Parts: sequence; C-alpha cells; structure tokens
Amino acid sequence: MIDRLTAALAASRADYTEIRVEQTWSSAVTMRGRRLESATASEDQGGFVRALNRGSGWGTASFTSLDQLAAMVVRADELSRAVLLERPIQLAPVPPQRAEGILDLDGDVRGVPLAEKKRLIEAYNGAMLAVSDRIVDTLATYRDEVSEYWYVNSEGAVLHELRPEVTLSGTAVARRDGTIEKGLESIGLRRGWRSVQDKAAGFRAVAERAVLLLDAPTVTGGTYPVVLDPELAGVFIHEAFGHLSEADFVYENPQAREMMTLGRRFGKPVLNVGDNGAASGLRGTLPFDDEGTPTQDTALIREGILVGRLHSRETAAAMHERPTGNARAISFRHPPIVRMTNTYIGNGRGTFEDLIRDLKLGVYACGAFGGQTMLENFSFTAAYGYMIRDGQVAELVKDVVLAGNLFQTLDRIDHIAGDFRWNQMGGGCGKGGQFPLPVTEGAPHVRIEEALIGGDLPND
Amino acid sequence: MIDGLLELARRRLEQGGGADALERRVERTSVAFEWGRLKAAGVTEEAGVNLRVLHRGRVGVAGTTNVGAENVGAGDAGAQHAALLLDRALASAELGEELALAFPSRAKLPRVTTHVQRTADASLARLIEIGQFLLERLTREGCQVNVAIERDVSDTRVANTAGAEGAYRSTGVAVSADVWRIAGDDVLAIGDAIESTDLPSEDALEGVVRSITSRLDHALRIVAPPEGALPVVFTPAGLSAVLLPVTQGLSGKAVLQGISPLATRVGQRVFDECFSLTDDPLAPGRTASRPLDDECVPSRGTGLVERGVVQRFIYDLETAARATTASTGHGKRGIFGKPVPGYTNLILGESGDGRRETWRELGGGLLKGINDGLLVDDLIGVGQGNVIGGAFSHPVALAYRIERGEIAGRVKDAAVAGNVYELLKRIAGLGNDARWTGSRFTPSLLLEGVAVARR
Repeated sequence: MIDRLTAALAASRADYTEIRVEQTWSSAVTMRGRRLESATASEDQGGFVRALNRGSGWGTASFTSLDQLAAMVVRADELSRAVLLERPIQLAPVPPQRAEGILDLDGDVRGVPLAEKKRLIEAYNGAMLAVSDRIVDTLATYRDEVSEYWYVNSEGAVLHELRPEVTLSGTAVARRDGTIEKGLESIGLRRGWRSVQDKAAGFRAVAERAVLLLDAPTVTGGTYPVVLDPELAGVFIHEAFGHLSEADFVYENPQAREMMTLGRRFGKPVLNVGDNGAASGLRGTLPFDDEGTPTQDTALIREGILVGRLHSRETAAAMHERPTGNARAISFRHPPIVRMTNTYIGNGRGTFEDLIRDLKLGVYACGAFGGQTMLENFSFTAAYGYMIRDGQVAELVKDVVLAGNLFQTLDRIDHIAGDFRWNQMGGGCGKGGQFPLPVTEGAPHVRIEEALIGGDLPND
Repeated sequence: MIDGLLELARRRLEQGGGADALERRVERTSVAFEWGRLKAAGVTEEAGVNLRVLHRGRVGVAGTTNVGAENVGAGDAGAQHAALLLDRALASAELGEELALAFPSRAKLPRVTTHVQRTADASLARLIEIGQFLLERLTREGCQVNVAIERDVSDTRVANTAGAEGAYRSTGVAVSADVWRIAGDDVLAIGDAIESTDLPSEDALEGVVRSITSRLDHALRIVAPPEGALPVVFTPAGLSAVLLPVTQGLSGKAVLQGISPLATRVGQRVFDECFSLTDDPLAPGRTASRPLDDECVPSRGTGLVERGVVQRFIYDLETAARATTASTGHGKRGIFGKPVPGYTNLILGESGDGRRETWRELGGGLLKGINDGLLVDDLIGVGQGNVIGGAFSHPVALAYRIERGEIAGRVKDAAVAGNVYELLKRIAGLGNDARWTGSRFTPSLLLEGVAVARR
C-alpha cells in the first residue's frame, strides 16, 4: 500500500500533497428490552487526498474506490488551482515522520465471532433488566472497530497504524405510572475485546439509579454553590471552553482573536486546563494527528491564565505559533480540522469532602445526559444530583440542568480537588459535520462558587 | 449493480427466504468560504451497498463500501465482494430476531422530478460564483462571514427478490451562510441555509441575505428579557423544539416501544384545528423527494395530523411487520446498519402547501397584537433529555423581545419552557412566512402562555 501511495504522490503536480487511506472493519450488536435489535458486521474503506499550491487554496478529494487514487490526486490539484487566494496559506513546519504504529489491540475484535459479542452485550443488558420490574425498557449496544491507516505527504512523512476501538453503551428506562427516568452507562476504549469483559456492575448501577430517581424530587431551581463530579466537570471543560481554544475559530477572525488573547485571565489561580493527545491508552490518543504531526500535551490555561491553543499546521502558521497535533478527521470522508483529543482540568488539592465542608446549601451535580454550548452560553443536563446540606451530601435529586455564561462560570471555579480521573466514555465530539470523533475528558471534583441550576421554570 | 447480488442471494437462501438491497453512489462537489474568503474546494465520490436477508425466518443486514470500480456482482472481483457481503448478512441473520418480514412486489411508481440537469452540469466556477455573491452581500464592518456550497449528484437503486425495483438519479444544492459578530465577550452568529434540487435563483439568494441581515440588524440592540407566561412567536427555524416531540411521537418505532404519548390517540383531536402535519415524498424541487423509499415501497403523501386530529404513524417494513400494519413508505437506510423509519419532507399544513414559499419580514405578521412577548429563532439543547414526553426547557441562543407589536431588540440570558402538548392545543396564529428549513416546511407559530424566565 505504501508503495502505491508514494507512487501516487510522486505523480502529483501540486506544491504540497497528502494522502490518507483507511480500511475499517466494524461490528455492532444492539439489544432493546429483551429483543436483539440488530447484529451487523461492516467493512468501510476509502481515501482522501489534499493538495495545496502557492497562491491557491486547498483542493480535496475523498473516494471509496481505491482504483481512483491516481485520478483523485489530479482532481485535488485541479481544485486547489481553481481556488485563488491573495493571502497564501502557509503550513507550519513539522519534521516528516516515518513510523509504524501498532496500538495494543488487547484481544483483536476481528477474531471474535458476532455470536460471542451478542452474548456479552446480552449479559450486560440482562444486568440492567434484572434490577427491578420498574425497568420497563433498555437499550444496550456493543460496537467495535479496527482501522488500518496509512498516511503519506510530499514532505516525506510515511505513517502506518492499526487503531482499535471498542465501546459499550446502555440506557435503562425506569417507569412508574407517568414518571419516566433513565440511567446511562457508557464505556469507550482504544483497546479490544479483553478490555470490555466484567463490566456488568456499571450497567447494574445505572439501572438502580434510574429506579431510585423515580422517587427523587426535582431539584429546586435557583443559584447555588455547585460541585461537579469528574465526569460532568470533564464534559463541561470540553464543551464550554475546549471548543473556544480550537484555533480555527480565532485565527482569521480579529474579534475572536482579541477575545482569546494569550495572557487573558479566564479563571482563578486554581484552574489549569490542557489537552493531551499523547496520554497513554485513552480514546482520544493517537501517536500522530491526520497531518502527520506528533500529538502532545498542550497547556491551555495555567493558573487561570490563557497560555495556549490547539492548532493544525495551517492555523499555527497563521498565528506564528507551533502545531500541537490537533488536526483530526473522523474518517477518509473528511478533511482534518482542529479538534480536541483528551481534554482535562488539571488536578488540584485535597478531597471531595474539602470541597463541600463549608457549604451550608449546595448542589452536587453528577454524570452527564448531554450538553450544548452555543457561543458563550451553555446548558448541561446532569444525569443525577444530590443536595449538599451543612457540609454533607444529602438527598438524591433529579432534573439538574446547569446553564450559564462560560466566562462567568469559569471565573467562579474556586476549588479543585486532588482526585483527578479520566472518563473513559463512548460517544464522541461533533464539529463541522464531523461526528463522532473519539475524545476523552478528565477532571477532578470541581467547585463553582455560584451557578444557576434549573430544569423547571416558573409557569406564571 | 445489485441484481447480481440478489441473484446470488436467491440461490443461497432457502424456501421462504428473501432479500433486498440498496446501492447508492454519490458525487459531491463542495466549496468553502471561511472567515470572508474562499479557502477550499473538494470532491467526494462514494459508493456502497446495503444488503438485508430473511433467512430461516430471521433478518440480517450487512453493508460495505468495498464495491470497487466494478459493480458488485459483476466480474470476478465483484462476485467475490458480493459473496463476502452475503456471508456477513447471513451471519447477522443467524443472530437476528424472527420476523414475518414481507418484501413488497413490483408496483407502479409515481412520477417525481428528483434530477435537474443544469444542477449536475454546474461548473465549479458557477458554485464559487454563488458563494461570492452571498459573501459580497453579507460582508459588513466588524463581522465575519462563512459560506458553504455543496452540490450532490447521486444514483440510488433498490431492488428485492420479490421482483420490486426502482432507480433514480437526484441532484441537490445546499447553500449555507453565517455571519459572526464578536464584540467583547458578546458572541453573535446568525445563519441561514437553503436546499433544492435546482441551483438557487437570485431571488432565493436575496432571501438568504434578507433573512440574515434583518435578524442581524435587530440583534445589535440588546434589551432585558421579559418574564412570565407570555405570547411567544417561534420562527420556522425556532420551531424545532416544539415539533421534535410530535415527530418523535408519530414514529411507528416509538409507538412499538410504548413511549409515544400519541400511541392511543389516533382519531382524537390532540392539537388546535389549524394544525395539520403531512409528510410529502413527492414535493417538487426537494432533495428528500423520491419515487420509492429505500425498501421498494412506492412513495405517497402521508397525512399524519389533519386539522388537529391524529391520523397515523410512519412505518418502515420491519416496524410495520412487528405492528402488524403496512409500511407507509418511510424506510430509510444508509450503507451500514438496517433500515429505520424516517420522514422525507415534513409539511406543517396540507400536502402541496410546500409549493408556496414566501419570504416575509421577521415574525411573519404575527407581532402586531403582542404587547410584551418573545420571538424565538434558535434554542440551546434541543433534543437533549426526555424529548418525547413533550416538556421542554431551553436557554435561548437567538431571541428577540417584542414590545407593542414591534421587535425591541435581542435578549440574552433568557430561557423558555412549556409542554408541547399543552401549547399546541391552542395556536394563536400562523405566520405568512412559510418556508423550508432543511426538509421541514412551516410558517412561524404564535403560542400563548409559554414560560419565559430570565437567568
């Protein structure tokens, strides 16, 4: 394959050319209630060519038929030449890498029969159903893939990788009369078959929580000190801050650039935020991004001050900064754009108890059902929560929605515990029509001195 | 083509078995203007086959993009790919559930124009010209403009072992533009998008410009949000949160799962008399239109709600078999995974209403009688949480305060909440601004008693 790709590169007339080829084997088994909804194995393959010429823009071509490779290299060059630019696109230098990266497959999922994958997810689904007869519906999905990946560019980079991925997800729906509650379990790993064994306890726990939530009161809306558990804190930092640190949002937009000036204070000195594509064994981890740049640990906020951002080679050159290995594409169907990898809030000090000890009344918000950021506003739905009363965790509450303004909320983070953990979840990040991109988030317990909690609004 | 694949399936399957398959080839040309300048042009050529089998009473599916330059089933390489795909579908069926799935037999297909030759013929330069036009018209001091143009030409072919088949070519052009204005920490983004089988007319592009600039002009002034149970105008784009629970509830899949609040309401008046909902796969000029669905069922309009009364749900072959009813022709399938029920062109109104798109001023003439209220164009978090129950609660992304019949300015830090089934019982007004937003055709709606809160 490498020979085919380098030959195609050599034939390109463009000043810069890169080619990516992927071949992906995947399978998925879905159970709904006691029924198998589907069990499938799929094969997906294709390539992507990107060309750049002096005085011109990007020309791209993606295709599923590899026989078209040579023709597509020509098309990408032609398209690049059709896009005339006054200010040229520059690429920040990256020493061309030659590497063979076989990630730990940890039990190659391609060797496991579909029937066995069905048995596994059936057992986890059964663990949810067995919790109570209040569990009226479940959805449980096993999904895996192994992707063989080749990347070459005209500067001499040659990469070949084998990338595994396996995810489990479960939804338990509990119902009593008109009240419906749900619990979600999600596990996502850049590993294989062995890493998803013995996971029934997590599925059981979310089903038990869904049943408990039937009796839990809705949280009373209002402004509280709020403690986020590591899962919600991770989702929060990814959604509410991470996307603003992606340089394609700011590099050619003077107003956005001003808003995101390095050196600006974003939080109190306890706040440290980063993105680490080189962290070991996580879903957002890869040795190189989709431009052949090595991944790295990039500091974004250090002691409350904005110190960095995430770059592709193009955005780094435009801002006279260094590439960070964050140009990623979800597949050969898409160009690489600036994306997060494993985004985290750095560890603080002390324990969870230290965060709540002096709170007379507060909310402990846990897990995430979903979240959306639009511009500087965000809204996150916690999976569940507890009231904090007189320094202690008190009753379970539901419908905990956290909404607010990003800048204000970051600035109100006043205490961060020392219990950091990565959340190895499935799902993924969406941007520019590319979804789902495997990412991970990590954080310790985080306290916001004041935040708006609400679900129900006053009805008059 | 897939004929060879189905022939192979016929030979391998036992008595009582069957199969259907879809092949789709797409050629896409895209042009992107980023932050005020043309940055990239691209092409995509994609082909894939999805196969479903009924084997020993059980259903299995498999998909692949490994179809080569050769057609699946044709030539040696093609035959090999076909055999592998069939093996995978049969392995899937071994685990699959037992289902009395019946593949439809050959039927006459309705006529619908899905393909416009000049769209397929349009050069890259012509697409760039469209973008350039929008860019020039939208550029203004202190703002940044993004424009994207995508032109698709696709060939779809579906067939089954019962003898039904259909093939059609479709074209589509999607044009989207958004204007960003960042002033200090106030970030404002206002966009619009149009989509058609034909190239956009100058009028249509002017409509996009007017829609964006009028909302931008009104947004420059920020005012305090109102509070209380108020009249709220939802624009065609802003209606998503209100319509999503209803369309989810009208899916036969939700009815089967026992989670649709509409499951037992067929024949009953659930909504205001002025509320009708139709799915129209034959709407002219729409990219979702097609002569048959992805399971060989001929297309026809489906009345979902007529004058407030729930009529029926949408089904694909599988959900119909499980509900012991007939498919409504809503089978949608991709290259991977199995078919699911999905809407085509959803029209708030009667079939045929989608032909009269009108570009009018913001609010569609509904503002006049409103002393204090809100106009909602975009909400945050639509689709999160327990949607199908009908309760919603969202912070606004783009909304305006209405005072004494006029737009007073943009509100930030406000949220709206309510229950769709309560609010749609009485609709205070339908706007005169009906338009397509994606594959949904609606006017603005005026709903009363929507909870508006400051935060």
